[in-house]
Amino acid sequence: MSEVNDNANVEKAQEEVKEPTKAEKVAKAIAERFPNAQVEVKTNKWGRERVWVRIDRESYRELMKFIKELDGEAHYSIGIEQDWGDDLGFLSHLVIYYRDSPAVSLLIDVHCPKDDPTLPDISDIFPIALQFEREGMEMVGIDFENAPDKRRLFLPEDFPEGIYPLRLDDKGVPEEMVHNAGHPYYLKGGAKK
Amino acid sequence: MTKVEYWVKIPFGPIHPGLEEPEKFILTLDGERIVDVDVKLGYNLRGIQWIALRRNYVQIMYLAERMCGICSFSHNHTYTRAVEEAAGIEVPERAEYIRVIVGELERIHSHLLNLGVLAHDIGYDTVLHLTWLAREKVMDTLEAVAGNRVNYSMVTIGGVRRDIDEKRRRIILDMIKYYKEVFPQIEDIFLHDPTIEARFRDTAIISKRVALEQGAVGPTGRGSGIRDDARWSERLGVYPDLGIKPVMPQDVTGERPRGDVFDRMAVRIGELWQSLELIEHALDQMPDGKIKTFPKDNVLVAKLRIMVDGEGIGRYEAPRGELIHYVRGKKGSDKPLRWKPREPTFPNLFAVAEGVKGDQVADFVVAVASIDPCLSCTDRVAVVEDGKKRILTEKDLLKASIKKTREINPEIKGDPTPVGFGCSR
Repeated sequence: MSEVNDNANVEKAQEEVKEPTKAEKVAKAIAERFPNAQVEVKTNKWGRERVWVRIDRESYRELMKFIKELDGEAHYSIGIEQDWGDDLGFLSHLVIYYRDSPAVSLLIDVHCPKDDPTLPDISDIFPIALQFEREGMEMVGIDFENAPDKRRLFLPEDFPEGIYPLRLDDKGVPEEMVHNAGHPYYLKGGAKK
Repeated sequence: MTKVEYWVKIPFGPIHPGLEEPEKFILTLDGERIVDVDVKLGYNLRGIQWIALRRNYVQIMYLAERMCGICSFSHNHTYTRAVEEAAGIEVPERAEYIRVIVGELERIHSHLLNLGVLAHDIGYDTVLHLTWLAREKVMDTLEAVAGNRVNYSMVTIGGVRRDIDEKRRRIILDMIKYYKEVFPQIEDIFLHDPTIEARFRDTAIISKRVALEQGAVGPTGRGSGIRDDARWSERLGVYPDLGIKPVMPQDVTGERPRGDVFDRMAVRIGELWQSLELIEHALDQMPDGKIKTFPKDNVLVAKLRIMVDGEGIGRYEAPRGELIHYVRGKKGSDKPLRWKPREPTFPNLFAVAEGVKGDQVADFVVAVASIDPCLSCTDRVAVVEDGKKRILTEKDLLKASIKKTREINPEIKGDPTPVGFGCSR
């Protein structure tokens, strides 16, 4: 119960002297440690702050280690593999400092070009990340270097090599592979560019 | 004398009477002891993310709902939150309260379902029938409030679809009264029954370290001592006003968390009481006002085409744990460029695969049931058939099976013509 009161007090104090919130402190710490990272704190309509970080792939592992140092109990919640057109991206969401509410919601985006789709593996820092990396490897074809397990996770073993279902370019699922189940709104030619 | 070990690898699933849904574990056994577990997913793959690339924002709302019958509100809600964040849409306060009420009703029905399954998996079917009998009341309430027992379609982008009027409010209050009589009985069976304690205590212990490493969420994480609840740590909607806080095993059992099946079940018992309280408070505090930002769906589709520009994250505590949806859209298109959900079962499954090592193989079923697995949520990625492959229909399979039976036993008698209509495909 005391925590709830504390939070209420902290909020009042913030209104008065504009003390930086937890999210802003984390953003500042990351920006100081990694000068080449683009750090931004975005607030949504119901007042929830999220820290969005864009990092290059050389410092990606360093940043993940730094977050583990910031909070040893950091929670890695999702890794999102996606096709950005010219390059492939891997976005991770982490929750840190969740001992009191609100926790800091941290998003780390890293990109790699399509002609060299390799990213460093972080499963020694956050072991669950390995499963999202396996999904990334089969779905958009990012190669995670030194990942301890490179088997497929969801796709069946007889799925053809070199086809990545969630790619938006010609490496995606070709039209002749699609068996339309009779959906009335079936759109020819796949995703809209 | 050297000790010789005989390790055996056995497949457990994908179709197994102990598992509710198709999932495959390859267990390495040393006698009866589990040495290693390997998880294989994808037996329920429907290609939802691939389908979503070809649907607009409003259509995906229904697609998200159909990922899973049990937590259909959670998926819909979290997806909606992600789109609202990407588009910058504000939700009326009354709608937030209605979202809380439906969400908590869903939590009650999901937790009662899981408690019954747990009892069933240790062969205690009397308790299964008792718990599921109690569950009927909340299912009826959901039907009265939303019109459906599953797939309520209550949430829309920018609000909710249906209001909770005086008649529905009375039905919910009636349900609360019923559960105040029934929950003490359920609590008594699950917390104080010697059979349940014997099977659940110290079974499939997920230590706090393993839970942190594997990112366990929800009752699984809290049972292992991770004090996190997405509704609380996210300060989601009106939940802070309703006095939300994470339910830990020590709040229910009075002992420190051990991370076993019993603790995970105790967290669910505690959350049943918490959900009742939240619904009661929400009904009291609910203000009057409008329930959606955009009155019609066609307006919504047109508005989203202009408003969604960028990325959005939705985070919500589903009955099984923290649920996350990510949406990225571009101005001028009514389709998202990327939508990815992550279900609580995904990390929990890997956590329990670690936790069950060293246990008896007989405890495996109850260990898997204790995380309340929802595999149709977890297997949601693309599925396509190889272009050259011949697809067998039900008729072909039947023909092949009759042929094989005749091969094995040419003497067989009896008429192989199927009775009834079978599946209409």
